[in-house]
Amino acid sequence: MRRRAGVGAIQKQQLEREKYREKGSEIQENQFLQMQKQLEVFRENLEEFASKHTNEIKKNAQFRRQFQEMCAAIGVDPLASGKGFWSVLGIGDFYYELGVQIVEVCLATNYKNGGLITLEELRTRLIAARGKAKKHQDITNEDLLAAVKKLKIFGNGFTVVSIGKGKWLVQSIPGELNLDQTLVLQKASSLGTAWISISMLAGDLGWNETRAENALNHMVKEGLAWVDNQDPKETLFWFPSMFSDCVEAAAVS
Amino acid sequence: MAEIAWPWQYNFPPFFTIQPHSETRQKQLAAWEELIVQYLKSSKQYIIDVRESQNTPLFSNPAINRKLSQDAVLTILEDMARCGRAAPTDKTKTVWEVYWHSLDEWGNMIYSWVSANGLNNSVCTLFELREGETTEGEEFHGLDVNILTKALKSLEVKGKCELMEFDDNQGVKFF
Repeated sequence: MRRRAGVGAIQKQQLEREKYREKGSEIQENQFLQMQKQLEVFRENLEEFASKHTNEIKKNAQFRRQFQEMCAAIGVDPLASGKGFWSVLGIGDFYYELGVQIVEVCLATNYKNGGLITLEELRTRLIAARGKAKKHQDITNEDLLAAVKKLKIFGNGFTVVSIGKGKWLVQSIPGELNLDQTLVLQKASSLGTAWISISMLAGDLGWNETRAENALNHMVKEGLAWVDNQDPKETLFWFPSMFSDCVEAAAVS
Repeated sequence: MAEIAWPWQYNFPPFFTIQPHSETRQKQLAAWEELIVQYLKSSKQYIIDVRESQNTPLFSNPAINRKLSQDAVLTILEDMARCGRAAPTDKTKTVWEVYWHSLDEWGNMIYSWVSANGLNNSVCTLFELREGETTEGEEFHGLDVNILTKALKSLEVKGKCELMEFDDNQGVKFF
């Protein structure tokens, strides 16, 4: 005689499943709590570490970067808000100071580059401006990027544009570059010529003429590019921010 | 040949094309005007002839194969005229006087030299001012006679001197 599955068996199965689930979430919760505890401890240690080594963080670029990475990994932003424990450390101050100096360099070079500057030029000028008194404070590109990102709170006046191969441009005029314009800058940077033409954009990026023309004309209107009508073949568009003689020229403030 | 420190723009090819964007053009014109004055100063020149502008290294950089067109030169000179740094000598606007200093500044410079040398209330010939041994080393030594006359006229308006003519010579009495 064939026995039919009883109600009891089903209930038993359900009960077991529930128990497993309970146990599972219990374990999960435990783990979570433990993790939280660990993080809390880690955070405490990190804060202690930071307060102990504030000077070191300010002076040593590599140390600073590693500290930043460590903070980022556990979701702590030592630059965030002036409130609370972190403000005491003065790590934010380091970047605020850098931010002010970045603004100064950008304003001083604006007359020649139209408000677009390579990160390298910015760094060279900034280090020169900081003077010998602080020569132990070597500044890395990461520091500059972190500081520029903080400048964003003043509106869209300061933005960082990646132009590939670890190269960056800092834009210090309002108005966002659209994707096409960023691509134009990337192309010009990778060619290392400081200029670009419509036919090059058409050939290398597969753009049609209108698209290339729009992007370039817009950049001329923003004062980022200069027009050169004397090439025998076609109009060239030059970027002073990438032109080496311009980069090396002394700034007038 | 004048030896001057060329600015970075001189090697920047689009510098030789008048820029369409007004803000960029302003920067460009300002840079040109500074360069022109610097160049003329270093070679003691006061005149630009637009028709011959293509032959001077000032407006032509063979290293990058770029030249400033006559129209462009005219655009720059007209901009300089707006702030009193240049003036055409005739209506065809082909020959231009370029003032390293404004006429007022030239006038003041001469007047302070006059005061420093106790020449108030005495008469000098323009020749003395331009070529005399006493003005050697002064910036206005060798100044173009037409520009000198204009500068003195600006002084005359202020009542600091009076231009006079005797025989074939021009003179000036300072007060």
